[in-house]
Amino acid sequence: MNVSGIPILSIVTFLPLLGAVLVAALPRGAARPVALGTALLTWVVSLILLIGYVPRPDFQFVETLDWIPLFGIQYKLGVDGLSLILVVLTTTLMWISILASFRPIQERIKEYMVSFLILEVGMVGVFLALDTFLFYIFFEIVLVPMYLIIGIWGGANRIYATIKFVLYTLVGSLLMLVAILATAFAYQAQTGSWRGAFDLTVLSNTTFDPALQIFAFLAFFLAFAIKIPMFPFHTWLPDAHVEAPTAGSVILAGILLKLGGYGFMRYAVPFYPDAAQTFAPAIIVLSLIGIIYGAIVALVQPDLKKLVAYSSVSHMGFVTLGIFVFTEQGLQGAILQMVNHGIITGGLFLLVGVIYERTHDRTIAKMGGLAGATPVYAAVFGFFVFASVGLPGLSGFVGEFLTLVGAFDFSPLVATVATFVMILAAGYLLWMFQRVATGDVSDFLRGLGHHLTDMRPVEILTLAPLAALVVALGLFPGLVLELIGGSVGSVLGGVAEAGPIRFALWP
Amino acid sequence: MTLPPDLVAVLPLVAAVLAAIAVLLVDLALPGRRTAVVLTALVALGVVAFAAVAVGGEERVAFGGAYTVDALTTFLHVLFVAIIALTITFAPDYLVPRALPVGEFAVVLIFAMTGAMLLAASTDLLLLFLGLELMVLPGYMLAAFHKSDGYSTEGAIKYFLLGSFSSAIFLFGLAFVWGLTGSTRVADVAGALGAFAAGQGTLSAGLAMGLAFMTTGVAFKIAAVPFHYWTPDAYQGSPTPITGYLSVGPKVGAFALILRLFVEAMGGLRADWLPVVIVLAAVTMTLGNLVALTQNNVKRMLAYSSIAHTGYMLLGLAAWAAGRMEGLEGLLYYGAAYSFMNLGAFAVVAALQKRTGVTSNLGTFAGLGRREPLLGVLMTLFLLSLTGIPPTAGFFAKAYVILAAVQAGGAVAILAVIAVLNAAAAAFYYLRVVVYMFMRDSETDAPAVAHGRLLWGGLAAATALTILLGLIPGPLLEVVGRAARAIG
Repeated sequence: MNVSGIPILSIVTFLPLLGAVLVAALPRGAARPVALGTALLTWVVSLILLIGYVPRPDFQFVETLDWIPLFGIQYKLGVDGLSLILVVLTTTLMWISILASFRPIQERIKEYMVSFLILEVGMVGVFLALDTFLFYIFFEIVLVPMYLIIGIWGGANRIYATIKFVLYTLVGSLLMLVAILATAFAYQAQTGSWRGAFDLTVLSNTTFDPALQIFAFLAFFLAFAIKIPMFPFHTWLPDAHVEAPTAGSVILAGILLKLGGYGFMRYAVPFYPDAAQTFAPAIIVLSLIGIIYGAIVALVQPDLKKLVAYSSVSHMGFVTLGIFVFTEQGLQGAILQMVNHGIITGGLFLLVGVIYERTHDRTIAKMGGLAGATPVYAAVFGFFVFASVGLPGLSGFVGEFLTLVGAFDFSPLVATVATFVMILAAGYLLWMFQRVATGDVSDFLRGLGHHLTDMRPVEILTLAPLAALVVALGLFPGLVLELIGGSVGSVLGGVAEAGPIRFALWP
Repeated sequence: MTLPPDLVAVLPLVAAVLAAIAVLLVDLALPGRRTAVVLTALVALGVVAFAAVAVGGEERVAFGGAYTVDALTTFLHVLFVAIIALTITFAPDYLVPRALPVGEFAVVLIFAMTGAMLLAASTDLLLLFLGLELMVLPGYMLAAFHKSDGYSTEGAIKYFLLGSFSSAIFLFGLAFVWGLTGSTRVADVAGALGAFAAGQGTLSAGLAMGLAFMTTGVAFKIAAVPFHYWTPDAYQGSPTPITGYLSVGPKVGAFALILRLFVEAMGGLRADWLPVVIVLAAVTMTLGNLVALTQNNVKRMLAYSSIAHTGYMLLGLAAWAAGRMEGLEGLLYYGAAYSFMNLGAFAVVAALQKRTGVTSNLGTFAGLGRREPLLGVLMTLFLLSLTGIPPTAGFFAKAYVILAAVQAGGAVAILAVIAVLNAAAAAFYYLRVVVYMFMRDSETDAPAVAHGRLLWGGLAAATALTILLGLIPGPLLEVVGRAARAIG
């Protein structure tokens, strides 16, 4: 489809901003429909983008505007397969989240919707930005609405959780800012011109000297490792998830964590391939620790939401593992895992929200026999649990499988360790499901009486698209793989020629 | 009729003095007509700004080289006028309910501005000192403006004693430099130190003492740690609009002094003062932030945070000394951005204190987002800008000084890392105010107060500048670029 001349990427990025302004200006009653309408419209635009996209390795629909010419900073947007798939994931989860918030959120609904829509601007912007300065700005913009969403509409301990979230993220991202500026300057010093000093494509094709690579990579690594989050930088995540409102958790797990994975693939590795090779073994070890640790800790969680949160740490370990083994299958697996985790964990958080809304409790021990009390709910829950376990035929399987194949190419030992964790994952998820859904209806649930209703149509409506995607991507992973082929190739192309830096500069 | 060139050069100063007199006369002639007084002041300030821009069209040297109009002068003149105008817009909301005179406030403020403007244009050591004193003397008066309030007078006395003490120290150092270079003209001093600029020449004991004394004196004025002890009391005790001015005006003024003195006159000695500046900057931003973390009073918190911001500006100075012109540009950009966002934050505090008896404790902010959503949102914007979150002026300013520091490399680059870690720590206390505003409910059911149109105007201007300097930094970058090249 020919969309040249129309700044479609700017539209998909800033449409939610327009919606936010509208919501703020219109009376309270209009907040829900306007927010949902905006999110749906943005989703449609992103689907148009998906249809118009031709799988090629280069960036498409590129929009360029000189922003701060003095330093060659541009307003530059563009998509390739990787960013496109994540943008569509964002816009999809966004309207689902907004729809799922209609009932649970009754307080300050206008502010809530404005926060969500601005959040969408930041997230879409991160995936579309092709200029490091612009990327950083979107990366930081995401922080503010999420801070408010957890802090205002969160649970009892929300203020501690939200401040922890912001401080962790900020430490990483500010160091990344230093690295972005240092990289730009290094480029300027090499070429004598600021032109292109912040341009993603130009920087990806520039070789920087080892010292800069080491320090800049470490700064980028810290920012993304905190965001994704990798062990041992993950401690903000369980707090944030437990305290966040349901839709906040969906977006946090579904999209925000992916900013880290995306950052690794788009910035850290292509910019500093030698440093990436240098640190890859250490990162792989950390990933394995994260995979195992997340699974073991999830096993003993008494709280449904915390369990899902820790399972995220484990699942995101597969993403970093897949990226840093630097094989084609590994990267494909990492990207698929990001998409699938967004869909499945998004679904799981929605489901936890559904039961929480009825019981105001998330303690696993108090549940039991939901299969009898609320059969539809139990069925849907079971479906997503199996998807998360990685049942073949559902989408969760493909990503982990490809990652493991990629890891096997790199080192059979690594693959073996990671594979065993899949058994653990089956353990904690199925055990949880068994305790919650099977057996007799627990006294606690029985005490709720008629409050314990089965899923409402709206709730089914929010979960149905996710379930459909789980099946579709499980059966036809080629749909995604075809899109991301070019991106995987360009990430690998740069890093394959690179070799680890000798640690001569360390005394 | 053509005016003598010397007089043309000082026209902005003349306009500023006339503006003060005009406000005084209007206040006398129309007692009680506050609107008239404020409008006169604003119009007169507009004329001063116009004069500054018109005169700044070309470079002028007047009074035998003692007074210079260059791009830096013009930039600072306009910035000072903007600071004073913003302060005047949000002051009446605080002053009037407490029966404090608006007219006198505006007049004293404009006189302080005159001193700052003289300082910015001085290229003679004695004239610099004169400008400095003319700037800070009205400041002492302002600090004690609420004379029936114990805290106000206590803060003012501390401010006055330490201020005059530091001025004396500064003057002492100045005498050394004069004695050893044989001139008070900035150009001649720079010439006498030319050997140092060329990388040779050893620092004599006398010159070293002069440098040390002047550094100490200036460090007092910008409230660099460990010379900052007067700041929190003076800031907390003063009436809120005055605190806003004190945290911005004299600070930018003192940086103007630094630019004329350390950069233009003693730039040759930069290798000698750079290590001192690096240490001062590191200590200043770290300690300022650490102490700000524990404050429960927003004014006091902003006072300590202003100390931290001094540290970030010193980072720009250090980057210049290490050979990067961007350092000076960053410093100037930071000065402008900091002025607008900090004044904006103080304007919100002043607006909340329109009802007498309202303190500036954190509790005052509880539930503000629900009570007065617009004020809450604006305060959040200013606080985010002070934290350095994009797309705001504070973010770009910080990015710019960091860029300069990274370019400078070495110890200054390490200082940049210290600066960003500090910025992350600062997020904690800035966001705490946001927590109170949006995430806690008010303990009292105080109804919203109506705010004057003037206050909203001032807030709108501060907001617009805070956003624009972040989104479209290009134009100001050119201006600060010219200003920096004029001296560096």
